Amino acid sequence: MPASAELKALVDQIPDHAKGGSYVNLTPETGEAMRKLAAEILKGGRDNVLGIIEMLAEPKEGQPIADIKPHYALHILAVQVTGTGDDKARADVALAIASQVGGDKPKAIQKYLVQELGVCGGKEVTDTLGKLLLDADLCDDAARALAAIKDGAPEVLLAALPKVKDRARLSVVKKLAVLKCEKAADAFKQALGDQDPDLRIAGGWGIARIADASAADALLKAADGAKDWLRINLTDAAMSLAEALVAAGKKPEAAAIYAHIAKTRTDPTEKHLKDAAERGLAAAK
Amino acid sequence: MADQSVSRRSFLQGAAAAATAFAIVPRSVLGGEPAKAPPSETFACGLIGCGGQAGEDLNSYIKHWGADFKVLAAADCHYGRLNNAKKRWGEQVELHTDWRRVVERKDIDVVSIATPPHWHALCCIAAAQAGKDILCEKPMTRFIAEGRAVVTAVKRYRRVFQIGTSGRFGACKSGTSRQIHKIMRSGLLKNNCQGVFIQKGGFPVKRYCGLVNAKPEPVPKELDWDMYCGPGPLRPYHHDRFGWNHRFYWDHEGGALADFAQHHMDPFQWIYGKDDASPVEIESLAPPAHPECCTPWAWVELKYADGMTLVLDGNEWGPRYDRKPARHVKLEDLDAESQKKLAELPDPEPLLTFPEAVRQRKESGGHVEAAHRAITIAHLANISIRLGRKIKYDPVKEEAIGDDVANRLVYQPMREPWHL
Repeated sequence: MPASAELKALVDQIPDHAKGGSYVNLTPETGEAMRKLAAEILKGGRDNVLGIIEMLAEPKEGQPIADIKPHYALHILAVQVTGTGDDKARADVALAIASQVGGDKPKAIQKYLVQELGVCGGKEVTDTLGKLLLDADLCDDAARALAAIKDGAPEVLLAALPKVKDRARLSVVKKLAVLKCEKAADAFKQALGDQDPDLRIAGGWGIARIADASAADALLKAADGAKDWLRINLTDAAMSLAEALVAAGKKPEAAAIYAHIAKTRTDPTEKHLKDAAERGLAAAK
Repeated sequence: MADQSVSRRSFLQGAAAAATAFAIVPRSVLGGEPAKAPPSETFACGLIGCGGQAGEDLNSYIKHWGADFKVLAAADCHYGRLNNAKKRWGEQVELHTDWRRVVERKDIDVVSIATPPHWHALCCIAAAQAGKDILCEKPMTRFIAEGRAVVTAVKRYRRVFQIGTSGRFGACKSGTSRQIHKIMRSGLLKNNCQGVFIQKGGFPVKRYCGLVNAKPEPVPKELDWDMYCGPGPLRPYHHDRFGWNHRFYWDHEGGALADFAQHHMDPFQWIYGKDDASPVEIESLAPPAHPECCTPWAWVELKYADGMTLVLDGNEWGPRYDRKPARHVKLEDLDAESQKKLAELPDPEPLLTFPEAVRQRKESGGHVEAAHRAITIAHLANISIRLGRKIKYDPVKEEAIGDDVANRLVYQPMREPWHL
């Protein structure tokens, strides 16, 4: 929806930046005026949000940035609406933003919109973000926004899991780990055996995050057979898992992990692991 | 590596095969961590980040405190800077474009991290996991959850960590500061502390505003921009985001607060006994924040659960803070009986320098929890500025209370393949 003349006039009231290119020239008075302006724009609801989005422009190499004010304005709206206590207004703004991703707008603009969904979005936009997980250009941004939103995100990430590959799969598995999604337990175990070392690390981290005792042996086996960066990360995942199991009252399962690490990390350069495992073992008894 | 100058191609072809012939034997190989090493001990060091600040921590926290170091490996994603590493620290330095190769090395005792701050936490965590002791430039982190993850890793493996600021080492020598420290740590004030500490100035608020008109530029061929952006969003390249001015952007640092609060808060925290605490209410005066660029601010007021108030007054932009006057914590704040009890308490332990801490396997003066809590102050202040509202914070759970959006700034999901 094209911006109305009224909306353009409102957005244009955002001060010009200083000559050097920053907003050092703002004052407490102009700052307050910007907040009032945002409140005024919000009164226009969805149409105004869509209008601002139409004013956004793709940044291009060597060309002046053409959307400084609407870019700033959209963010002020996104932040401000989360502080009003009016969840419907917040959801309306988020839904308006979400309606403009997934189409033919330049990816740079869509990335910005996804970023702002990570600010003001809630469960109402997770399905839209879930669809972006299948877009190689937007997957990582969408996954991060989902992990920030949390509510409703695990279901969307799980649904995408069978459809995503390579880097997108890594994003999805990792964000399921961020969200401590227990329903992703099998995905984490499967990731441990992947050819991609980053995915193996993600699997190990996920197992630790959900304190999955049933995956301890697989994790230790993967760590034992790994070298360098992978070994460092998977062994740490096993240590984290043991700590999580202690916290969950599963001391025997934790002790088994600690005992294995204490027994196998005998090289002097892994003494810190052996020592940490022995301390953990003592605490888990 | 035969050819000691670095290009992207030479690294891709040769990094894996590189070998070092340098002869410092790390302490771990000599049987772990001796209770006491000779004062002349030379630390085998790896550098992550070869820009202007690289190696400064080695000088300030190893050499200045009577020990020595030898740099064995260095990493940077800017090949020009990396190539300078040999000139600065000797021909023995092995060069890596990927910092993970430095952490993997088994012959390194200490990793010194001088990257932009968006990398600090991940490098610290990996170094701890690999059994290295750590010198980390300030600010320690870019957001709060990173700090907790660093603390967890450092404590899990009992590594020695020293943040790149040393204000508390001076503060702990002052009689007045020691008395305040003792009063605050005694618990005798209970939750009735009337102290108001105002950090007036010391934040270049105006200078630290990012460029909102930064046009995308071609990535210099000597720079791996994707690696530079690392766990943060992959933005179009602009020279202002690379090098010193990265400080002006949320993705990389967080403005004057993030850059200077670690310095200012390090002594404050020691004096006022806040190494294991964080504020519970945070309020600021600032215009609406820009999504990517730091913008100006006037002041931030932070209140602790015990009644203590901390104020960060930028003293450059907008009105000065005038809600309360500064007020020291005094002996007279205690009743007579409490004063007697205080007199019977031992004086604070001296702070250990980094070399002492490494030798004794104890915490360094600028230890990890203190550093995390110090920079948490800046992060909380920035969250209040970025959201334009008062924040309530739980210092134990390390979460904002009743503000889901604030918590999205407490924990910021990372770009793949990185995670905390």
